[in-house]
Amino acid sequence: MYAFGGLPENLVIFCALLRRDYGFRIGAGELLDAARALNIIDLSSQQAVRAALRTVLAGTHDDVMAFDKAFDRFFLSGALAGKQDAAVLERKPEPGAGEEGTVSKRVGTSGAFDAEFDEGATEGTGLMTPLETAAEDASGVIGRASYSPAGVDSTQAPEVPEADDEWVAAARELVRRVHLGPARKWRAARKGRRFDLRRTLRASLQTGGEPLMPRWLARPHRHPRFVVLIDASRSMNQYAPTALRVVSALTRATARVEVFVFSTALRRVTIELQRASLGTSHRLQALSRAWGGGTTIGACLSEFVRGYGDRLLSSTTVVIVVSDGLDVGEAETLRSAVQAISRRSGALVWLNPLLETPGYEPTALGMSTAKPFVTTFTSVNDLAGLVRLSRNLRLHA
Amino acid sequence: MDAATIRARFRDRAFVVDESFATALQIALALEKPLLIEGPAGVGKTETAKVLAEVLETRLIRLQCYEGLDATTALYEWNYPHQMLRARLSEIENATLEEREAQIFSERFLLKRPLLEAITEKQSPVLLIDEVDRADEAFEAFLLEVLAEWQVTIPELGTIRATSKPRVIITSNRTRELSDALRRRCLFLWLPYPTTEQEIAILHARLPGLSERLASQIAAVMQTLRGLSLQKAPGVAESLDWAMALMNLHRDHLDMRALAQTVGCVLKVHEDHGVARAHAADLASAMGETQASLQSGGYGLDTDFGFGTVSTPRH
Repeated sequence: MYAFGGLPENLVIFCALLRRDYGFRIGAGELLDAARALNIIDLSSQQAVRAALRTVLAGTHDDVMAFDKAFDRFFLSGALAGKQDAAVLERKPEPGAGEEGTVSKRVGTSGAFDAEFDEGATEGTGLMTPLETAAEDASGVIGRASYSPAGVDSTQAPEVPEADDEWVAAARELVRRVHLGPARKWRAARKGRRFDLRRTLRASLQTGGEPLMPRWLARPHRHPRFVVLIDASRSMNQYAPTALRVVSALTRATARVEVFVFSTALRRVTIELQRASLGTSHRLQALSRAWGGGTTIGACLSEFVRGYGDRLLSSTTVVIVVSDGLDVGEAETLRSAVQAISRRSGALVWLNPLLETPGYEPTALGMSTAKPFVTTFTSVNDLAGLVRLSRNLRLHA
Repeated sequence: MDAATIRARFRDRAFVVDESFATALQIALALEKPLLIEGPAGVGKTETAKVLAEVLETRLIRLQCYEGLDATTALYEWNYPHQMLRARLSEIENATLEEREAQIFSERFLLKRPLLEAITEKQSPVLLIDEVDRADEAFEAFLLEVLAEWQVTIPELGTIRATSKPRVIITSNRTRELSDALRRRCLFLWLPYPTTEQEIAILHARLPGLSERLASQIAAVMQTLRGLSLQKAPGVAESLDWAMALMNLHRDHLDMRALAQTVGCVLKVHEDHGVARAHAADLASAMGETQASLQSGGYGLDTDFGFGTVSTPRH
């Protein structure tokens, strides 16, 4: 059983554990809500306590999946595990850590928070700081910690390079150049093809009820949505920084970007990248497990079509696959997946870093299978490459 | 209202929920926070709000989100033609400009949209914000403001404060990731597919005439189908449709022939039929059929989509 007597203390430590080991985003508000929730429910029912805490503390599907494991580990495991947790979290703040001390006073919670700060400060890994301090502490790590039972070396985690203004400008240009044509809805506009009676009448109130100023409706342009699928196999390791830089620039240029990495499994990393591109360059802890290893491109792409196709693929979607096309899976799987993506998207861009290699021909089985369905086949190795891509981007006819 | 009561009340309305679901609702009601429900399509996310409104004996106000949804459609709009008419008519009266303005911009000419309606309702309504992921990010930010303050400022009228806080249910199909800010404002519930036992209970609750054997067979096949890599996995709604179709065909049990006849109720993408055919043996064993009957009965999905043989009762 857990090491401390009172429920409030345990709750505080449990929350700290969730933040530290499972990457939950829990602030003082959530903690308070959790306490209030426990006040309402029947405490004698383990099921109820579990459900209540999960409702309050988990924020995403991933959180929900991790929660039960964390709950069992903290509340139900043997005495030893509980004490270890406690020992880690109860470490007293060191005198030198004055800055954190003041912060935690402002947050107004118990010593567990300080202990966690120290962990983060001394070890320099991607531990969470409470949300309240994240904005102020520019040098702190804003990213989300990940649960790494296998003790993944943090140096394995890819670093997200910062996209400077030139990159962002190039990415904006790319977004701007995707001409999707007008949408079907009508929107108020200064000049348009359709007369807007409602707004004309509204405007006529200013002129004593005489409709002197006509108002118009026009069809707004459709905005593209980007889905970037990055191959994270070992053969792509060299190219990873560039791929992440492109994505980082794109994330800053438009909000409509979804990012996935795949090697032998597919992982959605949109949130992680958004958080990373807000801060300064730092590692994507959550990616460390996806990064490295061989690739089954076909299986991963068909997993994408199955899991996200309905929601993310439409004629306004530009799918960008970043991969060298060295597939260890079956060609038929790859073919049907790429065909499905191609059929349901506005454009399918394939960025292959090997294209820069002199004499490279896309003859490897994987690449030659996918190539007929690709609308733009190129590589982006530098800023000029991204500019070139925006000029060469083709949509499906 | 405690979790057990919620379960019982939902059960009375033929909606089967498990304990963690009921606890989440209980907490959302007690803490007066919005409940964000995510999960696969067809597990009853929207239905939750409808039943909750019935249970609480209050109104359900629904805001269906879509791309391009903006504040005027969600909050309020002035009734311009009506105002116009009024302005014209009041010209003959000897009213001052201020009086006429006050008349035109009064609540009579205000068209309340769902959010404003929810705020001005006397008894706390259930406000369902459906498929919030379909709306733009800008709308999400606007929604945050309303959810935090529960007040709306109309320049011509002033600030309208909520007389009673609405109970908010937000659903999302995860078309895009919602912002952390919105997530932090809400309690979160992940609604997965029901377990086999739950699904049987749901089938019985919704279709009282369904035979025990058919219900358990349907649930078992559904469980198997959801395990396959389908493009559109069938939800609870599909189970119910299917059960209804089979009852209409006067089937008291499920075999491969019945599946072939009615597969259109369950699988709605052509490619999925191929996947199901490839796993016919698994499906047959889920139904409790033997290998022999599988061979004799056959699984003629490609020849027969069901249209030719389905007979509907004629009145």
